Amino acid sequence: MKHSTDRLPVDPHTGQPIPPRAQPGYYPGFHTLDQQAFWDEATRKVVLDRVEHVPPIRFFTPEEAELAKAIFDRLLPQDDRDEEHTIPIVNFVDERLYHKRIDGYRYESMPPDDEAYRLGLRAIDEIAQHLFQQPFVQLGPHEQDQVLLTLHSAEPPAAHEIWQKMQVHYFWLLILQDAVGVYYAHPYAWDEIGFGGPAYPRGYMRLTGGAPEPWEVEEQRYEWQGPPTSLSDIYKQPGGPGGHGQQPPGQGGTH
Amino acid sequence: MKKPLFGAFREPEDKVHHLGPMQKIETPMRRFDPDEEVDFCIVGVGSGGGVLLQRLARAGFKVVGIEAGPFWDTERDWVSDEAGSHQLYWNDLRITGGSDPITLGANNSGKGVGGGSVHWAGFTPRFHPSDFRVYSEDGVGIDWPISYEALKPYYELLELEIPVAGPAYYPWGDPHGYPFGPHPPAGVPDVLSRGCSKLGIPVSSGGPVAILEGSRNDRPHCIYRGFCLQGCKVGAKQSTLVSHVPDAIHHGAEIRANCMVARINMKNGRTTGVTYFDPDKRERELRAKVVVVCGYAIETPRLLLNSACPGFEHGLANSSGTLGRYLMVQIGNVVLGRFEDPIRMYKGPPAHSLTEEFYETNPKNDFARGFAIQTVAPLPIAFAKQMLMAKGAWGWGLRRVMMDYNHWAPLGVLGEILPWEDNRVELAEEKDQYGLPVAKITFGLHDNDRKIAKAGVQKTTEILDAAGAQEVVEEARYAHLVGGARMGNDPRTSVTNSFGLTHDIPNLFICDGSLLPTQGSANPGLTIQALAARNADYMISNAADIFAGRSPSVEQPPVRKQLSPPGIKGKGTPRIR
Amino acid sequence: MKAKPPMRVVQTWPLPAKWLQRLLPASLAQEERTIILHIREGRFQRSLAVITACASLLSGLEVAYEHYIGSYSQKIMYTPVILCCGHILSSIGAIFNRWIARVLLPIMSLLLALDGVVGFFLHIRGVQRKPGGCRLPIFNIVMGPPLFAPLLIATSGFLGLITSFLRSENALPPELFEHVKGVRRRFPLWMDLMPKAPVRELLSTEQDIREGRFQGLMGGATALSAFFSGAEALYSHYKNNFTYKIEWTPILLSPLVMIAGIGAIWSRTIARTLLPITSMLAAINGMLGLYYHLRGISRRPGGFKKFLYNLLYGPPIFAPLLFASTGFLGLLASLLRRTRP
Repeated sequence: MKHSTDRLPVDPHTGQPIPPRAQPGYYPGFHTLDQQAFWDEATRKVVLDRVEHVPPIRFFTPEEAELAKAIFDRLLPQDDRDEEHTIPIVNFVDERLYHKRIDGYRYESMPPDDEAYRLGLRAIDEIAQHLFQQPFVQLGPHEQDQVLLTLHSAEPPAAHEIWQKMQVHYFWLLILQDAVGVYYAHPYAWDEIGFGGPAYPRGYMRLTGGAPEPWEVEEQRYEWQGPPTSLSDIYKQPGGPGGHGQQPPGQGGTH
Repeated sequence: MKKPLFGAFREPEDKVHHLGPMQKIETPMRRFDPDEEVDFCIVGVGSGGGVLLQRLARAGFKVVGIEAGPFWDTERDWVSDEAGSHQLYWNDLRITGGSDPITLGANNSGKGVGGGSVHWAGFTPRFHPSDFRVYSEDGVGIDWPISYEALKPYYELLELEIPVAGPAYYPWGDPHGYPFGPHPPAGVPDVLSRGCSKLGIPVSSGGPVAILEGSRNDRPHCIYRGFCLQGCKVGAKQSTLVSHVPDAIHHGAEIRANCMVARINMKNGRTTGVTYFDPDKRERELRAKVVVVCGYAIETPRLLLNSACPGFEHGLANSSGTLGRYLMVQIGNVVLGRFEDPIRMYKGPPAHSLTEEFYETNPKNDFARGFAIQTVAPLPIAFAKQMLMAKGAWGWGLRRVMMDYNHWAPLGVLGEILPWEDNRVELAEEKDQYGLPVAKITFGLHDNDRKIAKAGVQKTTEILDAAGAQEVVEEARYAHLVGGARMGNDPRTSVTNSFGLTHDIPNLFICDGSLLPTQGSANPGLTIQALAARNADYMISNAADIFAGRSPSVEQPPVRKQLSPPGIKGKGTPRIR
Repeated sequence: MKAKPPMRVVQTWPLPAKWLQRLLPASLAQEERTIILHIREGRFQRSLAVITACASLLSGLEVAYEHYIGSYSQKIMYTPVILCCGHILSSIGAIFNRWIARVLLPIMSLLLALDGVVGFFLHIRGVQRKPGGCRLPIFNIVMGPPLFAPLLIATSGFLGLITSFLRSENALPPELFEHVKGVRRRFPLWMDLMPKAPVRELLSTEQDIREGRFQGLMGGATALSAFFSGAEALYSHYKNNFTYKIEWTPILLSPLVMIAGIGAIWSRTIARTLLPITSMLAAINGMLGLYYHLRGISRRPGGFKKFLYNLLYGPPIFAPLLFASTGFLGLLASLLRRTRP
């Protein structure tokens, strides 16, 4: 999978695929893990545990795990990362579902998360069969994106009896919020986006003007485009009721 | 430097309970005998419960606070990590439904000593005098049973105890000043200031927030680390855990943490105490002369409904039928703007600046009441979740917008949703891990609420455009949560009187955000703590009558200034009143 | 007693004055000559009182708003503001009243200097109390209470002390003063109780100051003041990431002023060449800094419309003026005479 160049993002000037690297993003040389001596011990334990101990698959069956992995590979593609720096999303989602850790509520129109996942994975496979007569895991990236787009627009062409039991726009937000909840909790992702990481007991001194701290780096932007096989590098409003009828589950407070 | 001097930071080696890098609880906590009848039992030691615990303990009463979550040791239990802070929220199951269902958990519900004040952003504006009279003045909602003037001395008192940092002159509502100075600017506040000054909208910079600007006693100055919503390990942001609970323990209060109250026990129309599950899930009973429920807008109605018994078939204190009703959240839509220059929103407290210029009802609008605009500063995961709806981002588009994280500045609308009867908390059929029916919340927006949301988003978009945003997107959401056991003078339309004493049961009080009849466009935290202090004064003045079963007076009790936690006198600047 | 002939004051002008003299019109040059004569004779108490009042005003305003940023969260934070007020009033009073100049002013100045030293230690304690404490030295010094600012207040106190020892402009000129030299001075009682050697030293120094012979002392003071304001500039500009290259200038200048000031303790030449040049540069740099800081305030979001907030959190307005005052101290030092051997 890693060596298939049509899954790599491309340089818009040359049209050539950009090879995978240890740290994509606009902050080369910035490593939050280098600062771990400055974190408090409780935080260090939690973050290092996340980096070093990848939980085993216990909730999903092996087939479900393979399917979930393929789905998460499209929801948050990591083809621009090399093998050692790929973040294992499916393992952490599996762990949450295994421990039945929830965010403190369930929408009335949704089943519990573990049931939602089992139903949803089946539904995605049914849509793949309906559109391309093949299971999802055997599709190419372009077809996989097409399947997932039907969920994004909340217009799935198949598995209607499953969508009677749970609403497709909530399911879409559920799997996406789980994906980002794992990916952007990882130090490699913090390095990619230039987030400072844990900050206690040392806080920040350069608060205005977006200035980097002495241990942070200035941004170095480069241009890139999504791979030619992907359909996700464009922005479209998701389908569904929108507005206050459709909020991602697990949202924290803000104000 | 690769390491701090003398090596990496380690956990404290002593066996003392820490509440920050310097603050500790060193007096051993008093433990009452299991069979002893205490004076007050406080269910839920959160924002309201924490203040109440301190006041009653200082006044010399025997008080026990029962808290479902842990009694946090901030150095050991809290982490400076977004994903690792899941434990701070009420993650137990609730069902949410309705046409515009609200979210719960991390959005608005805390667990553990300090409750919501652990994970709040810390904005502490007061309500406006008009908020107490929305029905008389604007013909919507309902009037409070008290006026702003009755609550004002408690606002001033809590602003000193917390303390609240803010500008020397805050122009909206009842203009006043703050005892601690404003906070320095950061990325997002600069955007709000820039946009608003271009449009001629006044902005309150650097406050009012419950974050220390200048160290006080054992709490250091804010270090601008931006993890407010994940619990302030520094102790600069106030939670009742660091400001009131230590003094409560010092004066002999007991906190039973990790204990879930199952039922309020009743006998002959009076409450005799509570039944709770201890940390080993064994049922125990605490006998008390007075029970005060401070479980917040969902758990308080849930507990009262779950305590239904002969004579109180519809739940305790529910003869009006309004228990669990008139639930309110606020419009909390976040409008995000992308900027050419980097912002780095993760630095500095998310709660920093706000404008209440559009708070009051404007006759030119086609809606009643209004909104406030505040700075917010989500960390990566929260920001990613906002982008899921705001831009419909997924896949490579999501990776792209997240790589741009440092170029975005979000502003939050805070809009007033009116109290509607059908927005309610009930019991569901499902049961939680203790076998208790969970809460079911039904919520829907009405016309006025939608118009406020629309106007708020529009104005915020204008501000972001004026500040130079290249792209502006919006995410619809809610903020905060109040109501469900509102106070009022009429027992037919309210659950408690203006002091939190339930109309139906002479020794049962409620003292948390569920009391609020309306909510304005202000963050409710300060008001909840001020109401708790006011209710405490009432309880202290009338304790003898309530214990003996006599009818207590309904007069306003004197404002007790000597019951504040120690070490606040003379610190801070004199302020405009 | 035979009247001695009036002593002719040897007119040795410091270097800059000669060429300046030639440039200025005659009447102005005369004025300047008188001023410098007064300085060299120690007869400039009133002028120095004005300068002290200005220095106290600057540091007083600076501490007033910096402590407001710290919200006066400790009661002791009011003391430098109150003492600066008192000091300003005493300095102004010293212009008009001899008793204030000789009694009240030194007391207020000592109190102020003491307050500054106490403040320095309290600021160190404040840095220790930040999370991470001394284990994050750079970070906590930059973000903690400014370490050397209280010592700048102490410098104002020091100036006030010097002022109180000087003679007033309308005191007797030295040639007439010679006659009354034999009169026995009345010493305060506490002086008899102290060991003889330091008391003698103290009196000798005081006499030197009264006669304008304290160039070395003033040079040392200039060096210290340059160190304090230079260090302040260093960590404030470091916090700003040296966004503008010109932010390096006060940090490069202050070691030069320090070298000149310390050199002036021993060498007359340095005191009359390097010191005035570097001090002049420091003074100009300070004025330039004031302009840039004002510009910085206007560039903050809201500009002058959010005046109080941007004054608090824009570039500190009075800091470059304090740097300039270091320059003025150095210039003054270069004009003085040296102690007798």
